[in-house]
Formats: sequence, C-alpha cells, structure tokens
Amino acid sequence: MIEVENLTKRFPTQLAVADVSFSVRQGEIVGFLGPNGAGKTTAMRVLTGYLPPTSGTARISGYDVVTHSEEARASLGYLPESAALYPEMRVREYLAYRARLEGVRGAEIRKQVEESIGSCLLEEVANRKVENLSRGYRQRTALAGALVHQPAVLILDEPTVGLDPAQIIRIREAIRRLGRERAVLLSTHILPEVDAVCDRVLIIDRGRIVAEGTAAELRGRLAGAPVVRASFSGAVDAREALANVPGVAAVSQESVDGETRVRLECAAGADPREDIFRTAVTHGWVLRELVREALSLEDVFVRLTQHEEPAPEGEPAAESTQEPAAAGPGDAAS
Amino acid sequence: MNKFLAIVGREWRAYFFSPLAYVILAAFLLMNGLIFSAIIAFLNTPGAPKGQALPFLFTNTYFWIFNLFVVPIITMRLFAEERKTGTFETLLTSPVSETTVVLGKFTGALGFFLTLWAPTLVYVWILRSQTPIDLGPVAAGYLAIAMIGAYFLSIGTFASTLTKNQIVAAILGFAMLIPVFSAGLLETLSNDPGKRETFGYFNLWDHMEEFSRGVVDTRRIAYYVSATAFFLFLTTISLSAKREAP
Repeated sequence: MIEVENLTKRFPTQLAVADVSFSVRQGEIVGFLGPNGAGKTTAMRVLTGYLPPTSGTARISGYDVVTHSEEARASLGYLPESAALYPEMRVREYLAYRARLEGVRGAEIRKQVEESIGSCLLEEVANRKVENLSRGYRQRTALAGALVHQPAVLILDEPTVGLDPAQIIRIREAIRRLGRERAVLLSTHILPEVDAVCDRVLIIDRGRIVAEGTAAELRGRLAGAPVVRASFSGAVDAREALANVPGVAAVSQESVDGETRVRLECAAGADPREDIFRTAVTHGWVLRELVREALSLEDVFVRLTQHEEPAPEGEPAAESTQEPAAAGPGDAAS
Repeated sequence: MNKFLAIVGREWRAYFFSPLAYVILAAFLLMNGLIFSAIIAFLNTPGAPKGQALPFLFTNTYFWIFNLFVVPIITMRLFAEERKTGTFETLLTSPVSETTVVLGKFTGALGFFLTLWAPTLVYVWILRSQTPIDLGPVAAGYLAIAMIGAYFLSIGTFASTLTKNQIVAAILGFAMLIPVFSAGLLETLSNDPGKRETFGYFNLWDHMEEFSRGVVDTRRIAYYVSATAFFLFLTTISLSAKREAP
C-alpha cells in the first residue's frame, strides 16, 4: 500500500531523507522510529504529497505521489505533527468539511462523519468548538479528520505527542483497530509506543534507515552474545561445572554479601538456563536467581542512533554544507 | 466543484467568527450611512438634478480609501493564518488542486466583500421610493464594485501567500494596491495624448464614474478580469513554491 524506493529529499542546507526504501502492506502498522530531527516528518511530508521528493519514488495504493498526486492524496489520511485544526469550527462541522475536501459526497458525508466520531470516541464533544477542547480531544479530532474518508493508508506523525497516559492508551487502541484493514505508518520517538502498537519498526537516523524488523527481531539481531546471570547461596566454586554446560562460552564469578554471583556468556542463540538449574541441583547449590539479560528496544535504539562523531566519511550528509546534528534542531521538518 | 464549494463556505463563514469582520462591517455601514445622508441632503437642495445623486455612492473619495485599506485586511488571513497554525499542511495534502484552493479562498473573500455591500441595496430601495431612479446605472455601479473588488482581492490573496504574519500580509497587500490604484491617476499629470490614453486605461477612479453613469465598457471589464486572473495565477505559483520551503 505504501511503497517507497530510493527516496531522497534534500533541502538547500541539509539532506533530510537519504535514499530510503521500504514498504507497508495492508493490515500492517509500521513504526517510524528515530530521534528528533532524523527526517521522519520530512519523509512523511513527501509521502503525503506536501513536499516534492528530490529523487526516488513513492507510491500510495499504487499511485505515484508526484505524477498522480491527487489520486495518491485521495487514498491516504494524514495526521500532521501539528494536528492543527480550525479553532472556530465545531468538531462535527470540521469533520464534515474534511470529508467534503476528501471527495465524500451527499448522504455519505453524514455517515462517515458519525463513523469517525465513533471510532475516535468523540461523541461527547461532537458539537463543541475546537478552541474549547482539551489537547487530547483536539488530537483525536485531528485523527478523526484524517480517517473521515476511510482511506486505505494512514500516515500519522507523532499521534500521541502531548497526551496524558490514559489518552495515549485510547489513541493507541484506536490506531490498532484502524490498522487491521489499513496500511498504517506512524512516527514516534517514544519506544514503548512501538512495542505497544507496531507490527514492524523502521529505525531512521539522519535521514537513512538504519534498521528494520519486528521489535523482537531487532532486539535479537543487536543483542550480541546472550548473557545469563545466576546467584547461589553461600560461597561455592561454580566456575568449572558451569563452564561445561552446553552453550556456555565463558564464566566469571564473584562473592558478595554471602552469595556467589555468576555471569555466563553464552553462544549466540543459546539459552542454557535449564541446564544451569540441573547443574545446581546436582551439586547441591541453592539457586537464588537465574536471569537471562534481554536487550531492551531502548538499548537497540541507542546503539543504532548514537554518534560520537558527526557523519562518517563518505556519507551523503558530508556533501551538504551543513551537517544535520544527530538530535539537533537543524531538521527543517520538525 | 463540491470541494471548491466546501472551501468557499468555510472561508466565508470564518469571517463571521472573527471580531475583525464586525469592525469592518460596522465601519463600512457607518461610512456609507454618512454618504447616504449626504445624498439625501443633496436631493433636498432645490433644483438638484435628481438622477445624478446615487452615483455618488460609488464615486466618492471614501469609497476608494475604504477599498484600499479594507481589502488587504479582508484577504490577509486567507493563507497567512493557515500557514501559521499548520492547517495549511492538511489542506495541501487533501486531494484538492492548488487552483481549487486558491479559487475557493478568493471566492470566499469576494463573498464577504459583497456581503459588506449588500446592505447598501437598501439605500437604492429607499431612494427609489422617493425619487425616480434609473436602475441601469445602479446595476452597472454594483457590477463595477464586484469587479474592482475582485481585482483588489486577488492582489490581497497573493500578498497573503508571501508571509505567515497576517499584519505583514495586510501591509504587503496595501503596498501592492497603491501603485495599481495610482497608476491611473498619472493620466492627470501628463499632457501627452498617448500617455494620457495609456494611463487612462488604468484609471479606476474614472472607470467607476463611467460605470455609475451606466457606461459599461468591455475594455474595462477585460482589464479587471485579466488582472484578477493574473494575480490568482501568481498565487498558485507562490503556493507551489511554498511546498518547497515549508
């Protein structure tokens, strides 16, 4: 539903999106994850036809966003980062206006408006003026505006920014529901959001995609050698016995507070916890703790996007006159 | 067409949600009320040529001062406001062409401008009940108001795309209207017949007088329509350029 090939967007002073390719299928929610200024908003603005790409192609429901811009725009719903609305309009009135702009006609307008009010839980405020709404309701009104014409593709730029936790949960539920029969691309820099909502993640940094996969895949790929920690009561010498457990590569131990703490580095993909337990039983050690350390998505993200140096040599970013900072305010898009 | 009407309707209604609209309306009606009372006073003068009174509604100095100041204030918000608040992005990512957006907003502003003038039809009705009035010149006068209004509004609409600041947009619009209006006045400064004819083609003040006498000259109409189209075209160009540099 969304197909992006070698998409590049260059601003006069910086390269915002560099040779990005990805696709989003129907029924899939893909998270666009990256630090502030990574190029998420710019990429989305190109996909929605707001900004022309410098090179490369993007297609929405098969329509090229440059050559068939209106058809592409007709089949997508876009929630911009600003979630801007007309303050003087009432919610229902605004949604009807958006529906008409999107080409919904006649009796359908009323029906679609009521449907989007329902799916974004706006019944209580449907006749209130936008300027009198709380931030959460405004965000939901903007989301309802993006899907009032039942688009096949939804592009949501930071849909939960500025909301309280209860509102965030509601918006996420709404997005998950919407994602069942649509292709959804949502951007965020909030990591738990990806775990909570997305089927797949694209990590974007300084305009390029640095990793792609499900949250679990990314953790697995970047975790390196798994580490298991165990601790036993009293002072025991577990090194030799544990080193012989299949899958254990190296063992180190220390005694603290009357217990022995062991750190085992394992072969990739190995999980020797059960064997460690059996070994402990055989030797009569009292096992207090046995943990396999998991890399959080946060660790993955930090590993992929932190830079000690500016862009390495040979990166396209080096060609532009001004270096986009990793998390700096330089991104024209944010 | 449906999308165009949606934009026109929203723009027209949006005026009435802002206090500015009512200030303009009140000032406009006050001004025209004073002019109308001057017309009445004139008609009460013994021996006044009765048919000549009403054109004064369109040809007085205040008419021009008011148009020059008020038109940029009417148009200043059209694009500047949406670019400032961010609704511009939603608008331009809707499946609506830039031309439709420009024409819709312009027509909404023209609608408001004509709404300002609508109450003055009451004056015509009142006068008609007291004194014989030839409706032809009146209709020509209103036609000219609509067309010169559209011309000025198209310039203001263009000015509104140039900045995110509404006040700046109004001042830019005013600055562009001044030369458009005063080019025709150069006619009076020249003795060369060729120059006089050229500048005369732009002399809106004279045009208005002709129209209010009932002279509908198609050259005038061609000038207003083509100039309006030209500025609306510039507006769409300006919008496309804004996509490049958000």
